[in-house]
Amino acid sequence: MRALIILLLCCFNTIVFSQNDQSFSEANALYNNGKYAEAIDKYESILDSKQHSAALYFNLGNANYKLNNIAPSIYYFEKALLLNPNDKDIQNNLAFAQNMTIDAIDNVPVVGFSRIINNVVNTFKTDTWAKITVGGVLLFVVIFLAYHFSYTTSKKRIAFVTSIISLGIACFSVAMAFQKAGLDKKDNPAIVFAQESRVKTDPNPSSEEVFRLHEGTKVQVLETYEDWKKIQLSDNSTGWIPSNDIKLLKFF
Amino acid sequence: MNIKNYISIILLILATSIASAQVKFEAKVSKKKLGVNERLRIDFEMNKDGDNFVPPSFADFDVVGGPNTSMSNYSRNGKRSYSKTYSYFLAPKKRGKFTIKQATIEIDGEIYKTFPITINVTAAVDKPNGNTTASDIASENIHLVAEVSKTNPYLNEAITVVYKLYVSLETGVSNWREKDNPRYNDFWSQNIEIKGLNIEKGEYKGEEYRYVVLKKTVLYPQKTGELKLEPLVLDITVEVPTNRRDIFGRPMMSKVPKIVTAGSRTINVKPLPEQGKPSDFKGAVGDYSFKVSTSKTQLNATESLQAKIEVAGKGNLNLFELPKLTVPSSLEVYEPEHQENVRTNLSGMQGRISDTYTIVPQYRGKYPIPSISFSYFDPDTESYKRITSDEIVIDVLEGPTAAISNTESSTEGIKQTINPNTNTFAFIKTTSDWSSIKTEPFFKSKGFWSLVLLPFLAIPLAIVVRRKKDERDADVQGNRIRKADRLAKKYLSAAKKTLGQKEAFYLALEKALHNYLKAKLNIETSDFNKEKIENLLAERQVESGVVSDFISILENCELARYTPITQVTMQNDYDKAAKTISLIDKQLR
Repeated sequence: MRALIILLLCCFNTIVFSQNDQSFSEANALYNNGKYAEAIDKYESILDSKQHSAALYFNLGNANYKLNNIAPSIYYFEKALLLNPNDKDIQNNLAFAQNMTIDAIDNVPVVGFSRIINNVVNTFKTDTWAKITVGGVLLFVVIFLAYHFSYTTSKKRIAFVTSIISLGIACFSVAMAFQKAGLDKKDNPAIVFAQESRVKTDPNPSSEEVFRLHEGTKVQVLETYEDWKKIQLSDNSTGWIPSNDIKLLKFF
Repeated sequence: MNIKNYISIILLILATSIASAQVKFEAKVSKKKLGVNERLRIDFEMNKDGDNFVPPSFADFDVVGGPNTSMSNYSRNGKRSYSKTYSYFLAPKKRGKFTIKQATIEIDGEIYKTFPITINVTAAVDKPNGNTTASDIASENIHLVAEVSKTNPYLNEAITVVYKLYVSLETGVSNWREKDNPRYNDFWSQNIEIKGLNIEKGEYKGEEYRYVVLKKTVLYPQKTGELKLEPLVLDITVEVPTNRRDIFGRPMMSKVPKIVTAGSRTINVKPLPEQGKPSDFKGAVGDYSFKVSTSKTQLNATESLQAKIEVAGKGNLNLFELPKLTVPSSLEVYEPEHQENVRTNLSGMQGRISDTYTIVPQYRGKYPIPSISFSYFDPDTESYKRITSDEIVIDVLEGPTAAISNTESSTEGIKQTINPNTNTFAFIKTTSDWSSIKTEPFFKSKGFWSLVLLPFLAIPLAIVVRRKKDERDADVQGNRIRKADRLAKKYLSAAKKTLGQKEAFYLALEKALHNYLKAKLNIETSDFNKEKIENLLAERQVESGVVSDFISILENCELARYTPITQVTMQNDYDKAAKTISLIDKQLR
């Protein structure tokens, strides 16, 4: 009787589990058995269903790391970080993967006032800022009406102050949302996939070479011209790279 | 028996000794090649006297002198030696190749013949026969030759130059020194040491000579086009035989100083083909093998390992750069140690060159050393070849984890260091929350703007609504009317529904009127009659006209049950009832 119930429960579970969860756990089993290439195929079949998650990208990065595929592993870890920026596991494994890269590029730190602003802007995602704005506006309207219709002085005073504060919050967060959207638009990272790529001064093959990049290096794409992309490194040096040599992170 | 044997052996020895004293009959010419204005001497020599000497017909020559007969006969250590010579001096009649046929002689009853000799008569020479000086003879008999292995090599392909000094059999060289050592501009050159001079025999322009190899040099052309090899100049002392003889009859030698040069040679150096030139080609020409190896592939952090890039083979080994090692930036790499083990011989340089890098990993993890490719040009197959090494992965087993600042965050100005307590490669995640890859952004969407702006519209709206409400509250008379209308409508709503059905309509209407009175006047249904209604209404100061209307409607309701009533009447009664109720309500105190 008990076994029957368990069996029924299992059947019920498998029905409830979506197709993706099933593929995901199958792929995890393949990974755990060391069949990394098969696991990658399974994980990628989930991506074909237009569904994704930070965990999926993280596992893809892990499997590629085990196969020593430098660029794909960094690419997927970075993608996982985009969806879940504060995950310690992802940051840790990304550091492992970045050990495999060849290029050493200095970071030019952002300092002073702009750094503080950036810190504040990056606290929330654009949509979160937008939701805070909506909440602030609603609160302001409700409390303002309460202020308008209440008769005692003390109530009026409290309602007035809170309504002004919530209006301030709404204005601030809408500004932040614009700022964050602007930052996101500018932030267009890509990973170098070619084993060695020559970065040129102009977007044509005959122009002079500025520097060379190797597999796995992260670059910022500034603009696109025909089959070339203008990139910027974290040390602020720029150049043109063939589009085929890199893969954009935000291209879902 | 024994004695007989001895005798026969002795006889045999005698017989062979007689046979060994062979008859020799030869023809010798002073030169095989001469100008048409020169003369030639031919000697017929024999070592035993004979009869009936028949000279060949000198049809193509004029016999200038002869036959002169000379004879010599001497005995040395009891052994007699004899020679007899017939000499002719001949002048050729014309240019061409002529054969002097056989001469015959009869010696001891047998006829002997000489070999025919071919003479080559060339154009007239400047100094016919005349007194040739010793230096002329020297220059004719001493030749310095530079032998080049290949005159049209590729750039950087090895060629060899061998200097040989040919000396004819008659002359000798007593002393020599290099006067001018050639400098090989535009070549990389390597001299090959020669230990001792070995005299060898060889042919020079069809004649027999002795020669010595003086100098061997391996050259690698460094420039394309026509390159000139400077000649080697030697100052030598030549011993030339003179006509005089010493007391032993040997010709006296006179010593002549002589400068000989090996003519300058031109080497046409071909450029390496541009077609199919690999991008990593660094000028290596020859036949090579290429290897990249590491001393270990698994180690702990801060231990060191050696990575070796090695090229072995044949070619311009020390004339090109080895490919560089590229390693992940997180590995510490020291300047490479360069080693060469190259021998040079006549076929070029051979051996191996290598760069050894010392690598010290600082952090744990896997570090791939990417494959390195090495390209060279093979002059034998005239094609470029590329050898690519395998990728090597160095596994650092233990050590601190890299504290790499996240570049993602750094572009946005937040520095995050990796938490040092998680120093293992994390396992995959086992659960996942799925979300659609395509997400519609909320910010700047229609919903967002309407949610932000519409609440502001709500403020004036609410204020207007509130003000309207206050106004209506303030209007007392209007309120009463509105209230009465509302009441009438409330009570008559059931009747209105059944408008058109006679029975039901009047029943509902009567009931509505009763209910109204019940609510307004607080009377029970049991004491419900027209007089009482009239009284009560009159008490409440309702006008008598309105009261009578009310009563007439009630009467109508009763009457209608028994009489036919049209639709229009029903509508009239309804309107009247509504109007009356509202009037009563207004006047009721």
